[in-house]
Amino acid sequence: DEYESGSTGKKKYSRDFLLTFQEQCTDLPVDFEIRSDIEHVLSVPVDASHIYRDPY
Amino acid sequence: SSNSSSAAVPQSLHPLEHSWTFWFDNPSAKSKQVAWGSSMRSVHTFSTVEEFWSLYNNIHHPSKLVMGADFYCFKAKIEPKWEDPVCANGGKWTIACVKGKVDTSWLYTLLAMIGEQFDHGDEICGAVVNVRQKQERISLWTKNAMNEAAQVSIGRQWKELLDYNESIGFIFHDDAKKFDRVAKARYTL
Repeated sequence: DEYESGSTGKKKYSRDFLLTFQEQCTDLPVDFEIRSDIEHVLSVPVDASHIYRDPY
Repeated sequence: SSNSSSAAVPQSLHPLEHSWTFWFDNPSAKSKQVAWGSSMRSVHTFSTVEEFWSLYNNIHHPSKLVMGADFYCFKAKIEPKWEDPVCANGGKWTIACVKGKVDTSWLYTLLAMIGEQFDHGDEICGAVVNVRQKQERISLWTKNAMNEAAQVSIGRQWKELLDYNESIGFIFHDDAKKFDRVAKARYTL
């Protein structure tokens, strides 16, 4: 169900397989940059002091 | 980082075939009459299953995004614009979402793309959801609009994956540029 890489060499994942990871990955990626121009995209509350704002 | 090569991915993570980038177009910036596309912002690039969920679980799903917003998921290095050299000769399939189903349809579209579930996945540039008062739409952008067999295959599989029964049309970007909203679908399923 995970890899079907045999014939094509592609990393194929079924929907059901991908869904099994949903609950495990709850934190934003560590290198995520919270910029002021995308803060409204986030569904989680963001500490304002962590938002990167353009200096101009 | 967003450019991490697969060699740098720890073994416990599940690498994707492609890296993908989420983009957001901010409607408040649009109202300032700026040129189309200039308010487009890349949100983050991901290349593993785990990174995808880390983002997806922390960003608004389409039904919670501000009205008028456009949210994109495109292969990294392809900009979600007609002018992008990879998109230039392409087109798109579009579905009009049934009320209350946009979030599921969007998620299933993303999972099918990043999980390489399309037989002609190489043809795919990315997907966009348009959040609108009247009706949300999701489009799947592809590369070679003239390649009818590939586009029809993608359209068929997409409808199946979403369990979508209405008819869908494929519009060439070239036609959309020339005729805007009255552009006619070249392929219909």
